[in-house]
Amino acid sequence: MTSLLAAKQYIQNFIVKYEIYLLPLGKLLIALITLLMINSKIGYMARLDNMAIVLIVALMCSFMPMNFIIIVSAAFVVLHLYEVSLECAAVVLAIFLLMYLLYYRFSPKDTLVVVLTPLCFQFGIPYVIPLTMGLIGGPVSAVSVACGVAVQFVISYIADNAAAISGIAEEDMAAKFRYVIDGIINNKTMIVTIAAFAITVIIVYIIRRLAIDHAWVIATVSGAMINIMVLLLGDLILDATVSVPGAILGTVVSFGIVKIVEFFVFHVDYNRSESVQFEDDEYYYYVKAIPKISLAAPSKTVKKIHASKKRVR
Amino acid sequence: MINEDRVILMTKMASYEKGPGKKNVAIGNYFRGDYIGFQVLKSIISVTVAFMIVAGIYMFYHFETIMQEVYNMDMIETGKDVLRIYLIVVVIYGVLSYLIYSYRYHKARRSLKNYYMNLRKLSQMYED
Repeated sequence: MTSLLAAKQYIQNFIVKYEIYLLPLGKLLIALITLLMINSKIGYMARLDNMAIVLIVALMCSFMPMNFIIIVSAAFVVLHLYEVSLECAAVVLAIFLLMYLLYYRFSPKDTLVVVLTPLCFQFGIPYVIPLTMGLIGGPVSAVSVACGVAVQFVISYIADNAAAISGIAEEDMAAKFRYVIDGIINNKTMIVTIAAFAITVIIVYIIRRLAIDHAWVIATVSGAMINIMVLLLGDLILDATVSVPGAILGTVVSFGIVKIVEFFVFHVDYNRSESVQFEDDEYYYYVKAIPKISLAAPSKTVKKIHASKKRVR
Repeated sequence: MINEDRVILMTKMASYEKGPGKKNVAIGNYFRGDYIGFQVLKSIISVTVAFMIVAGIYMFYHFETIMQEVYNMDMIETGKDVLRIYLIVVVIYGVLSYLIYSYRYHKARRSLKNYYMNLRKLSQMYED
């Protein structure tokens, strides 16, 4: 454990020291992975499915505010879908607009979740998101997670049915429109997943806030179990197609990842580090202030292996 | 000589000004009623846009049925129904955003008060 703590301390120092470079790098990576994922999943517009464009846009994201990634990703999705059909693009644009108008106007802090959730789905570890958001977010994060899940299912529905949608006659706009809307609304797997994730976020949050020992561990474990249970129940009741072994395995893997995240993120306070400058009558001050990290220093115990033996002659 | 207490206080305040303070100062420039009213107005506009989007989707989805029924429909009655739904949605959303923004205003004011207190403390230090 001490070596782990020491490693953590080292990583923490590293992040504090190079925060100025690491933050844009992180944004660049998130933007790059997101855009590449979008292109590989629904890369219908050939002009956008181009490494040069992706790189340029990702570089732009690296020095823009975090929410820029979301705008860019949404634009990519809508443009790609426009190539499939105008109706698809219109429906998805409407969904994005509704999310913004009704929810994200209030809580701009959570916006990244709507991008990270589909990403985790692609990596096969979607259960990381509700567990983590329950730990670091609030109960309202359930709505963010639900939005992320909805985006994932809408995109993958259209990706799976792109051929069928563009197969419908060009003149019959209303039929195309209905086909897309029906597919999105009647997706029972989506409804079950949204319910499971939202309940998980809220339960994890409630348990984490309890004044009990090991609240975090208990919250994560019970959150993971409730997640599986709701998925199974929904699978039975609504006759949705949730892969049960996949859900269990995914939850176990996600649990491990959440533990790692917890170990590193929740004790690292690098985002409280501040660099500020100001002046008074006599001086200019350039101050970098990093809050103290209350961590037990790795204690060194000296173990004697070669104890001095008395020699008997 | 550098006065250490002063530097610490100034650092804390400068970091506040840079971080959460920026938003709070902006909020603090408004009177309570002005701030909340403005935010609620913005909410109502956005919920109106959202309502129009949903209504548009609904109408387009039921395009054929509406086209068939349009001559038999009581336009005024339908309009009243739509207006009623719209008003209910707006009222719920308006009340919700009123609650959210009055809470935020209250919080910002409290945190600004703290900041101004520190400011006074700082000017005291210069006088000493």
